[in-house]
Amino acid sequence: MPVELSHDLMVAFPRDTLARQDFVSSLRGYILNDMAAGMKARYEAQVRPAFERREGRPPRTQDEVHAAMRRDLYFRYYSAVRYNAQEMVWRSVIPSVASALPELEHKLETLDGRAGGSLTLDPDLEIPENVAGIDVHLMPGGYAPSDAPTAGAVYDNGLAVFSAGLMGANLDDIGLSMSNYVKHRFPEFRPARILDCGSTVGHNATAWAMTYPQAEVHAIDVSAALVRYGHGRAESLGVPVHFHQMDATALDFPDNSFDVVFSSMFLHELSVKDIRKFFAEARRVLRPGGLLLNMELPPNQALDPYDQFYLDWDCYYNKEPFYRAFRDQDPQALIEAGGFRPEDYVQLTTPQFSYMPEAAYAEAVNAPPAIGQDTGRLSSAVHWFGFGAWKAAEPTAA
Amino acid sequence: MSDVPLQAAGRRPAFFDDPGLDQLVSIVLELAGELWVVRERLYALEAVAADQGLALRQAIEAWKPSAEQQAELADMRRRMLEEMFRTLNQEHRPVDPATADVARAD
Repeated sequence: MPVELSHDLMVAFPRDTLARQDFVSSLRGYILNDMAAGMKARYEAQVRPAFERREGRPPRTQDEVHAAMRRDLYFRYYSAVRYNAQEMVWRSVIPSVASALPELEHKLETLDGRAGGSLTLDPDLEIPENVAGIDVHLMPGGYAPSDAPTAGAVYDNGLAVFSAGLMGANLDDIGLSMSNYVKHRFPEFRPARILDCGSTVGHNATAWAMTYPQAEVHAIDVSAALVRYGHGRAESLGVPVHFHQMDATALDFPDNSFDVVFSSMFLHELSVKDIRKFFAEARRVLRPGGLLLNMELPPNQALDPYDQFYLDWDCYYNKEPFYRAFRDQDPQALIEAGGFRPEDYVQLTTPQFSYMPEAAYAEAVNAPPAIGQDTGRLSSAVHWFGFGAWKAAEPTAA
Repeated sequence: MSDVPLQAAGRRPAFFDDPGLDQLVSIVLELAGELWVVRERLYALEAVAADQGLALRQAIEAWKPSAEQQAELADMRRRMLEEMFRTLNQEHRPVDPATADVARAD
């Protein structure tokens, strides 16, 4: 079932549209759980044995798995249905969002100032090609088509359908899980300033602000549509967050000004070159003793060829051009290229905070990281993957 | 209204050798979505009627069509099937005078 958004920007959908969204959400749940299991079983029982008979060995790479699966009828149906379901997600929200635009604009005005957050736009910011040039996630119009809050509303409402109830009450489970991991795993660490990069509608920034109510939370995104909508969303939820239209590869913040730099599902939207720039910037704005933490999909090196192939479906068929290039990287090498020390590297896996008692979660964060087929993969058994680094408390001796 | 597009820019991928099959998957899924919308509305109709003190669901379960109604329903089903297989029949079935007459009478 889709999540029913509980803030003032939520669009009032007609009953038939809600029924359509329920259908799409259930369809996605069925694809990601049942059909995914069926496809894996088909691979194990037929596709891989056929490959082994032909080649005298199992597939070594995800490309070999992909090539073999491309000929398989189950994969074809899985993919065709999943691709259509992705389109149907957006189609189930767009007409109502478009009708609600004037009302949305009005609500944004009235919500401004309610919770004490802020909004800073940068009309001169050049929207990078990875955002401006492609309809990522097949989201029609993309994430920054104009300054109107449309893209924010389409994304927020679409994500509520897309996530099929697997991403928390306010679509904030990733932010809640990651911030509570830090809170329970490092209880002495008390961040005063937190920065969420590539925040889209700020659904994870609000989670950090809820976990650390004393902290000042900032959220940046290149899209004015997203930060404008995100600002209204956070104000409506009563959570103060400071939104800025800003590029994570060129942060307009002073050196040593944050205790946490966070990102969620963001790196895989960047080229490897931009990831390196972002990490260098993150290190620059972090205070000594601060933490860079990225929630992401697990690296391909940690998965067998089938699971690599399974996760990289999005790269081939969901307009995620940088997805695989990112997943082919060694996360620690990327971190070190950003100037962090190898001994300060952090890697974690965590269950979903939203769906378990906090006491049990506090226990779970002490388990060693374990990457498996459900890591970072939206299904009812998902657990999140994160990596990053502490910024050395003392400058290393030259 | 704004000019928000309904579909992402760019070509849609083909998963099947026959592009017609890719189209068919889209068509079937759209139909399934519409079917669900109708099913939910019927469910809501019964639920709302019950809230208003009208036991529609029980009455429908107990309902038995009369002979006249049965004939009408059978005719509706036949016409639906004719519509469904319209193109197949037009292109691949020799003309059957009896059926052709019925189709004209409609």
